[in-house]
Amino acid sequence: MSESIGPTARHSAPAGQAAAGRPLLELRDLDTDIALRRGTVHALDAISLDVAPGQTLGVVGESGSGKTMTALSIMGLLPPGGRVAGGQILFEGRDLRSLPTDEVRRIRGVRMGMVFQDPLTSLNPTIRVGAQVAEPLRVHKRVGRAEARDRAIEILRRVGMPRPERIVDNYPHELSGGMRQRVAIAMALVCSPSLLIADEPTTALDVTTQRQILELIDDLREEFGMAVILVTHDLGVIAGRADRVAVMYAGRIVETAATEQLFHAPRHRYTEALMRALPESALRDSGGHDRLISIPGLPPDLSGPLTGCRFAARCAYVSDECRTTDPSLIPGTHQHACLHPVPTPAGAATGPAPTQVEPAAKPAQVEPTTEPVTAAPADVAELPVLSVRNLVKNYPVRGRGLLRRAAGQVSAVADVSFEVRPGETFGLVGESGCGKSTVGRLSVGLERPSAGQIVLDGTDLTDLTGRERRRMHRQVQLMFQDSYAAMNPRMRVDAILAEPLEIQKVGDSAARQARIATLLDQVGLSRRALERYPHEFSGGQLQRIGLARSLALHPRLIVGDEPVSALDVSIQAQVLNLMRDLQRELGLAYIFISHDLSVVDYMADRIGVMYLGKLVEIGPAREVVRAARHPYTQALVDAVPSIAPDRAATRDGTTIRGELPSALDPPTGCRFRTRCPRAADICTTEPPLAGGRHQVACHLPLRPEPTGTPTQVQAVG
Amino acid sequence: MARYLIARLGQALIVIVLVTVIAFVILHLLPGGAARATLGKEATLAQLAAFNHEMGYDRPLIQQYGMYVQRLLQGDLGYSYQLNQSVLEAIEQRLPKTMLLSLLSTLVAVVLAIPLGVLQAIRRNRWPDYAITALSLLAYATPIFFLGLMMIIVFSQVWPILPPEAPQGFTVAELLADPAGLVLPTATLAIVTIAVYARYVRSSMIDNLNENYVRTARSKGLSERRVVLRHTLRNGLFPVITLLGMYLPALFSGALVVESLFNFPGMGQLFWQAALKRDFPILLGVTVIISIATVVGALVADLLYAAVDPRVRLRGSAT
Repeated sequence: MSESIGPTARHSAPAGQAAAGRPLLELRDLDTDIALRRGTVHALDAISLDVAPGQTLGVVGESGSGKTMTALSIMGLLPPGGRVAGGQILFEGRDLRSLPTDEVRRIRGVRMGMVFQDPLTSLNPTIRVGAQVAEPLRVHKRVGRAEARDRAIEILRRVGMPRPERIVDNYPHELSGGMRQRVAIAMALVCSPSLLIADEPTTALDVTTQRQILELIDDLREEFGMAVILVTHDLGVIAGRADRVAVMYAGRIVETAATEQLFHAPRHRYTEALMRALPESALRDSGGHDRLISIPGLPPDLSGPLTGCRFAARCAYVSDECRTTDPSLIPGTHQHACLHPVPTPAGAATGPAPTQVEPAAKPAQVEPTTEPVTAAPADVAELPVLSVRNLVKNYPVRGRGLLRRAAGQVSAVADVSFEVRPGETFGLVGESGCGKSTVGRLSVGLERPSAGQIVLDGTDLTDLTGRERRRMHRQVQLMFQDSYAAMNPRMRVDAILAEPLEIQKVGDSAARQARIATLLDQVGLSRRALERYPHEFSGGQLQRIGLARSLALHPRLIVGDEPVSALDVSIQAQVLNLMRDLQRELGLAYIFISHDLSVVDYMADRIGVMYLGKLVEIGPAREVVRAARHPYTQALVDAVPSIAPDRAATRDGTTIRGELPSALDPPTGCRFRTRCPRAADICTTEPPLAGGRHQVACHLPLRPEPTGTPTQVQAVG
Repeated sequence: MARYLIARLGQALIVIVLVTVIAFVILHLLPGGAARATLGKEATLAQLAAFNHEMGYDRPLIQQYGMYVQRLLQGDLGYSYQLNQSVLEAIEQRLPKTMLLSLLSTLVAVVLAIPLGVLQAIRRNRWPDYAITALSLLAYATPIFFLGLMMIIVFSQVWPILPPEAPQGFTVAELLADPAGLVLPTATLAIVTIAVYARYVRSSMIDNLNENYVRTARSKGLSERRVVLRHTLRNGLFPVITLLGMYLPALFSGALVVESLFNFPGMGQLFWQAALKRDFPILLGVTVIISIATVVGALVADLLYAAVDPRVRLRGSAT
């Protein structure tokens, strides 16, 4: 079944030759079981895959789909209790399951390499980088100590590590996340393997670093002529990099095709739904603020017996047949296991056909909103809910020892001003360490600013005493990324929801019960949730509970700190829709903090972009994303992986290199100038945030403020 | 690094002062008093009062403490009338012997406990793990005096291969001249310690074997032996270092029983006899020495930790 990749292969060189030979890796009806205390989970069910030499296979799926288990099964690294229960893993024609252990270990060490998700925990903290990188050489190729060190330096240089001859003697904790991932890649490549398995290699990294790492893997693949299996939950990452894609759901492959074919014309209803659940799809299709198409429910439990299509329970096109017949993959170049596939648009496989299905076929839960979610943000007369002026937050860095003298300070937030109007969503984006979460915590009053004002509803909080300030802060509530960690695991949901009411002494017991019931209705949870504990809920449900808790005190503004970042795409869509609905019903304003520009783009009316404690650009969401004025914003926009065919393949655009400078001693002048491709002499003086509706803090902006914008003096500052 | 050391020594000093205060107060609240214990039943009230006056025992407690600290700073731990020698001398004679016993038993314990704990971790929830766990719990739950008695009964009565009594030498060298006599006391102390250490090594190794970096090591095709010994063992032993520093002084309480049982002329026996005779200067002196040992043990453990864990090393030099 080693079908050719044909004309759809994006990267011509090695992939083209590969089509002629036999596959490097073939999985034949692979079954993997994991024995847990509560029973055996059938993690993989009859997985068949081919990877040709030089080819990149993308394996995509949500959590629990089995994508990581597939990778671990190939590598023989299943967790305790896990075992390959059936099928074959043919590597270069030999079944790894029937080879002796030592032989398999050698193949694993020399012919295969694997890169894991979390570069911090995946490296041994107490062994020097060089020794870790060179270890496969020392063990499998019996290379001497001195030569191993030279080879480590060489491969580190090859993966773009700055100053490799010094890095070899460092320990992992001394490197940044992106550099650690380079070390992990170097380690996987040191024996020049013919297969590299990358399991979510960039999920823990910032987008600009992600882009660097993905390009590195691509370049190395071409250079080494190796095959790559790229496992990810992110459709955008796959779209830009893979030759073929396998979509997994509930332990099975539901669809596999050449990348362009799959993204142009998905056939399986799950693939279709997954792609439409992406915020970028909603923006592209409607150009505006339609509800996202979410996939209701949760994936099935793989420990029990399953009949029929595993997606049936969540599918909008389900028929009785789906529940009884187990669909198998239809052979061919574009395989799918769906009884009611998406009809093929004529010529989809050859030309750029529209992904759109006719409106009649849209699932029932799609209700395009007629009215715009918010009024035009130009309503200047209305008083802002929150106005932040010249906000500064410095954290002292203390020395060790008894006296803990201050050894300097970290500039987390430096002179940030913005405002949020009623009913508006203000998006705050930036990479880790830019200070966006600190702004969020300052806004809800969890921390006091070092300088600057926070004005809530016209009242300057800096003037107020502790008790009054806390009373005012009831109007602003926080929603967390990890709601489970933010809830007491020993409290039932009713107690969790009642707590803010009790603390603020709102109403009597009956009134509180009534309020809690209303809250549950608002976030779409049943009353039965009240008697359960946090661990009994899924991630999406926990986010609903978290949202209900933040709504308890009738706030006017909710600060969401990465509220959907930990969720799968389909669940993320549910939560984003809910946040939108509540905003409309209750007239809430949001500060939506996220590293994910596409989510912020979808949610926000206005966006502020932060870099190293500074607000570098602020303006209407669509303008900031589509007509960025600051080079950093443009780099962020370009780095976001997209499933759109025209954007997925582009590899040019503004790329920033290097590492984020330390906030302990930020660059003088423009803080971005050390990494900016446009930096000039003038950038050593600090640029002010200037402009009308769409402001930028840059001496050499990429484009002037769009004409026709009323140059109004903003109340900010 | 120097600043770190100074700070830690400052903390140590505070701890030692607190320990002496507490010991001082408690000892002087005890009924009976040192005078009766020293002078015997026949002593008259006048003799007792004279003794108390001479020793300063009739002054306010605070004043007594002040005098004690003053002498302590000059290296004078007091004088024991019952032993008729200075406290320092008494401790100097016995401390090396107790240290010998502690170090020997710790060495034996560590050498045996690490492989046992590692074995348990890699055979987790299989019979070797269960067997060692059961034995560990048994050893841990057995009172040390009972364990010691059983050892004596088995190895010098039922099966007489070892002497029931420790060598009575005056110096460490003399003790070492008769190694057979050291076997039972060392073994008794070591058995309990092995149980503790093996549990720690086991759980720490299990934690580390579940770490992602171990999976990375396996992905490099390393043998299981190399994965465990080269990648996991070092990280898995970090908690043991802390435990060592904390546990070494704690061995003293075990030594107290063991030394009495085997008639071993060390600090434990000294303390035990002083307690029976209300020999306050000895009791205080031993307490001070033990508290110093505890503080120094913890400090040495921290320094050792910093020496083997590069992450800690960095933080120490960051200032």
